Amino acid sequence: MTEILRLSVPMTVWIAAFSAVYGLQGLLCAGAFGAVEPGTQRGLLILAGAVAVAVQVALLMALRAPRFASPSRFVQRVSVILAVVALISTVWTLLPVVASSVCL
Amino acid sequence: MIARLWWVMLAGSVAIFALVMVLLALAFRKPAGPSGEAADQRRERVWIMGLGIGFSLAVLGALLVWGLAAGERLLPRPAPDLVTVRAEARQWAWDFGYADAPDRVTRNVLHIPAGRPVDVEITATDVIHSFWVPRLAGKLDAIPGHVNTLRIEAWEPGEYAGVSAEFSGTGYRDHVFTVIAHDPAGWDDFIAREAP
Amino acid sequence: MTALRLHRKLDPIWASDPGFRGWFTTVNNNDIGKIFLMTATAFFVIGGILAMLIRAQLATPESAFMGPAVYNQVFTMHGTIMMFLFAIPFFEALTVYLLPGMLGTRDLAFPRLSSYGFWCYFIGSSTMVVALVLGVAPQGGWFMYPPLSSTIGSPGIPADIWLLGISFVEVSAISAAVEVVVTVLRYRAAGMSLDKMPIFAWYMLVVAVMILTAFPPMILGSLLLELERAFGMPFFQVDSGGDALLWQHLFWLFGHPEVYIIFLPAAGAVSTILPVMARTTLLGYGWVVAAAVSLAVLSFGLWVHHMYTTGIPHMGLAFFSAASTLVAVPVGVQIFGWIGTLWKGRPQMHLPMLWIMGFFVTFVIGGLTGVMIAVVPFDWQVHDTHFIVAHLHYVLVGGFVFPMIAAIYYWLPVFSGRKRFFRMGETAFWLAVPGFHVTFLAVHWAGLLGQRRRTDSYDPGQGWEVINLIASIGSFVMAIGFALVIVDVAINALIASRGRRNPWGAGTLEWATALPSPSYNIASIPVVDSRYPMHTDPDLPNRIARGEGFLGEPIRNRRETLAVSTARGDPLQVVVFPQNSVVPFVMAVVTSVIFIAPIFKLYWLMFVAAFGVMVLSMRWVWVLGSRHDEGALDAGRGVSLPSASEVADPPGWWGSLFLLLADAVLFGSALFGYAFLWTVAPNWPPPAYLQPGVAGPALALGGAALALAGPRLAERRLRGGDTPYAGLVLGAAGLGALMAACVMVMRALPDPSAHAYDATVWVLSGYVLFHAGLAAIMAGFVMARGRAGFLSPRRFGELRVVRLWADYAVLTGLIALAAIYLPGLGT
Repeated sequence: MTEILRLSVPMTVWIAAFSAVYGLQGLLCAGAFGAVEPGTQRGLLILAGAVAVAVQVALLMALRAPRFASPSRFVQRVSVILAVVALISTVWTLLPVVASSVCL
Repeated sequence: MIARLWWVMLAGSVAIFALVMVLLALAFRKPAGPSGEAADQRRERVWIMGLGIGFSLAVLGALLVWGLAAGERLLPRPAPDLVTVRAEARQWAWDFGYADAPDRVTRNVLHIPAGRPVDVEITATDVIHSFWVPRLAGKLDAIPGHVNTLRIEAWEPGEYAGVSAEFSGTGYRDHVFTVIAHDPAGWDDFIAREAP
Repeated sequence: MTALRLHRKLDPIWASDPGFRGWFTTVNNNDIGKIFLMTATAFFVIGGILAMLIRAQLATPESAFMGPAVYNQVFTMHGTIMMFLFAIPFFEALTVYLLPGMLGTRDLAFPRLSSYGFWCYFIGSSTMVVALVLGVAPQGGWFMYPPLSSTIGSPGIPADIWLLGISFVEVSAISAAVEVVVTVLRYRAAGMSLDKMPIFAWYMLVVAVMILTAFPPMILGSLLLELERAFGMPFFQVDSGGDALLWQHLFWLFGHPEVYIIFLPAAGAVSTILPVMARTTLLGYGWVVAAAVSLAVLSFGLWVHHMYTTGIPHMGLAFFSAASTLVAVPVGVQIFGWIGTLWKGRPQMHLPMLWIMGFFVTFVIGGLTGVMIAVVPFDWQVHDTHFIVAHLHYVLVGGFVFPMIAAIYYWLPVFSGRKRFFRMGETAFWLAVPGFHVTFLAVHWAGLLGQRRRTDSYDPGQGWEVINLIASIGSFVMAIGFALVIVDVAINALIASRGRRNPWGAGTLEWATALPSPSYNIASIPVVDSRYPMHTDPDLPNRIARGEGFLGEPIRNRRETLAVSTARGDPLQVVVFPQNSVVPFVMAVVTSVIFIAPIFKLYWLMFVAAFGVMVLSMRWVWVLGSRHDEGALDAGRGVSLPSASEVADPPGWWGSLFLLLADAVLFGSALFGYAFLWTVAPNWPPPAYLQPGVAGPALALGGAALALAGPRLAERRLRGGDTPYAGLVLGAAGLGALMAACVMVMRALPDPSAHAYDATVWVLSGYVLFHAGLAAIMAGFVMARGRAGFLSPRRFGELRVVRLWADYAVLTGLIALAAIYLPGLGT
C-alpha cells in the first residue's frame, strides 16, 4: 500500500491545495472575513499559492531523496514524474492569483 | 472579439487536427522502426516529452493567457456613463426594472441606451434561468436569491433578440425577450415617460 | 496431471447452477460479465431510440411530433440512460468479464458482490424504463438542477424516480469499484508486480478509485434533494437558507470526473489493443500510467467549468479555466504515446484497429472543442447551445463508444471462443462513423448560430432548418451503423466456427486459457516475470493448463485463489471464495424496495426493507470464514500459505477500507455543503445556533474513547487466548453513547425543515447515528460469530474489520459533532 500512496500523494496534494485556494478566494469574496482591502486579498491569495508551491517542491524533494526511495524502480520513476506533474499543475492552475481580478 | 477568438481557435484546431492525422497516417506507410531499449527511450523523448508535454503546454499556455485577458476585458468595471437595469426571470417571463426610472417595470422588453455600457442585474424568482442576448454579450444565469451582474453594450440603436438559456420546463422554448437599444434622445424620452 | 483431467476436476467446483436457477445464483464473473454486457447494450439501444426521436423532432422547425412535456422526458432520459445506465455499466461489465483473466486469477475479489451489483443495476434501470413507458419519466434534464427539479418545479413522482433510481444504480457502481480496486491490488498472478500489470488493469484501478471518490458527492446531492422533496428540508431553497448552487457544485464534483471515468476505460482498451494491432508493445508504459493518474486527479479540479455562467468571480473561473486547459496535457501524452506506438510497430488494419482510427479522428476533434470551451469568454457564448451538445457527443461517442466497439471485436474470441467470419463490421463502421460526423459537425454549427439545447422545436427563418435536417439524416445513418454492429457481433458470437487460442498474438494472460474462458478462468495461477508473459514464455498456457502454477491441484475441493502483496505480487494468502448463492439476488430485490418505497411515500416499507437488508447481510457474511484453525495450506509449487481467515487483513478488511474511502468522500461533501451554505447562501446565519451544553459533548467524548478502546481490547484478549466479548461490549456501549449524543442534537433542533442549518445538522448527526449504529451491530454480530466458533487466537481478522468501522464512526462522529457544536459556542 505504501507504493500506491507514493503514487497518489502528489496529485492529491495538488487537488487539496487547488480547492483550498479556490475556497479562500470564495470566502474572501463572500465577505466571510469582513471587508478586506483588494490589495490584502490578493496578498493573501498569493501567499496561499506560494505555500502550495512550496509544499509541492518539498514533496518532490522527499520523493527523490534516497531515504524515502521506493524499492521498485518503476514506482520510483512514476512517483517522481507525478510529483513534477503536480508541481507544474500547482503553478499553472494557481497562476491567476497574480493576474486575474479577485472578486469581479 | 469573441468572433476573432473563435476563428483563431478554429484555425489552430484545424492545424493541430491535421498534424495528428498526418502523423497517424504516416505510421501506416513506413516500415517498423528499430527496436530495443535505447530506441524506445528516444521515442519517449520525441513523442511523449516533446509532442505530448512540450507541444501541448506551449499551445495551451498561449490560449489560456489570451482567453483570460479577453475575459478580464468583459468584466463589469466602474464606468462614467454606466446605466443600470434589473432583470428578473420567472417561468416564463422577464420583468425589467430601471435604476433611472425606479417605478418603471417592462415585461419581456428591455430598454437600454445604445453606445453606453449597461449593467444588467440578473435574478430569478422561481427556478434558474439565464439571460442571453447573443449579439450583445455572453450569458449569465438568473438564480433565486442571487444577483449576478452582466455588462452589455449595444453599438447601434435597434432591436436585439434575447432568450433564456437555461432549461426551465415546458415553457422554455418561448421564454424569450427583446432588447430595444435607443439613441440618446429616445432613451431620455423613455426615462422621462410616465409609468403606464 | 493432464490439462483435461484438471479441467474436469475444476469445472464442477466453479461451475454455476444449471438451468434457469443458475441465472439468479451465479456469482461467476464470466456469467455476470456476459449478462451485464447484454443488459448495458439493451440500454444503449433504448437510449439510441430516444436519440432518434429527438433527431426526428428537430429535423424540421415547429415540429408537432412531440410536445414539450414529452420531449423533455425524452431528452432527459436519453442523457440519463446513456450516462448512467449504458456507459458506466458497459465498461464495468467488460471489466467484470476480463479483469480476472488478465490478472491471472480465478474471479473478482468479491464474487457475490458482482452479482449483487448487477442485480441492483438491472432492477434500478428497469424501474426507470418502466417510468418512461408510463409517461412519468423525469423531465428536468440529466443534471436535474433544483429548484426546477425540486417540489417547486417538478411536483409528482418523476423527479423522485430519477433521484432514487439513479442512487440505487450507483450502489452497483460503488460495488463494482470496491471490487475492482481490491482485485487489482490483491488478486493477481504470482510475481505480477505493479510494473508488470497489464495496462488495462492500471486504468481500471484508477477508474475504480475515481468512482469511489466522484460518485459520493452526487449520491449526497440526490439524498439532500430527495430529503427536500419529501420532508421539506430546505437545502436548495433560498428563502429558508438553502442555495440552488449547492446542487450544481455537488453534481459537477461528480459530473466532471464522470466524463473521465467513462473515457479512461476506453483509453485502457486502446492502450491494450493498439500495440497488439501494431505487433509491438506500448510506448512509455510508465508515462501512460502517470498520465492516467494525473488525468484522474486533474479531472476533480474542473467541476466549475460547467458553471462559468453562474456568476462566480472571474478569478474563480480563471482557476478552473487553467485546470481545464491543463487536463489536455495528459490526454495529449496518451494520444501521442499511441501514435508513437504505431510508428514503433507495423500496424495492421483489422476491424478493431479501424474502430480505433474512428476513435482518433473523433476524439481529437472533441478534445479540441473541449479546449475551446475551457476558454471562459467563448463558453459564455456557446454554453447551453447545441455546440456543447456536439462537443460532448464527440467526446463520449468518440472517446467511449468507438473504442468499446473496438474492444468488443478484439475480445470477441474470449467471449465466444470463435473467430469472426461474418464480415458486416466494416460496412457498419463506414455507416456509423461518417454518419456521426455529418450529424455532429452540423450540430456544432447550429450551436454557433445560437440554437439552444433542450428546446422542443424552433422557429423557421433563423438559418437552422437545413443544418438540422442534415444532422437528422446523418443520425439515422449512424443509427443503422450501430444496429449493424450489434447484429454482426451477435451473429459472430453465435454461429462462427471455433477459433484458435490467442488469435491476435497478444501478450496478456486473458489469452493464456482455453476460449471461451472457463468457469475457473485459469487452471492454475502462473508465476509471471514480464509485462507480456505470452510473448516471453510461449509455453506458459500449457503449463497453466497442466496445473503447474499455484493452486494447480484442487485438493481441498473448494473455490480457492491466491491473494498477493500489492507491490511485488508475492503470494500471501489462500482465499476461499463463496459458493453459488441466491442471497445477492434476493438482497438486490430487497434493496430495491428501500429505494422504490419512498417514491410512493411508503416510509414504513422502506424501514422494513432496510431491516431485511441488514438480516440478509448477516446471512451473507455468516458463511464466510472457518470454525477451525487450518494452519498453513499447501498452495502448490512447494509453498505453504495461511488461509485468508487466519490473517490480520482478510478480504473483508480490504473491501471495507475502500468502501469507507467512498463513505469518507460522502462525509467530506456533506461538510463542504455545510460550509458552502454558511458562506454563500443569502439567508444565513440562521435565527439561532444549537447550544451544545455539557452532557452531549461529554457523552460523545466518553463514547468515542470506549469505541476506540473496545475492539482493540477484544483483539488483545482474543489473541492472548481469552474471550473477546468484554471488549466488544465496551465498544458497542461507546458507540451507543455517541448515538445518544446525536439524538440529543436532533431533539434540540426539533424541526429540520425550519432552516437549511437545522436540516444540515440533522443530516450530519443522522450520518453519525447511522455509522455508529452500524458499527455497534457489527460488534454484536461478531460476538455471535465468536459464540458459534468462528473466532480463535489465529482467526481474529473479523475483529479488525469491526475495529475499522468503529474507528471510522468515531472519527467522523467527532468531526461532525465538533462542526455542530462550535458555532453555538461562539454566540
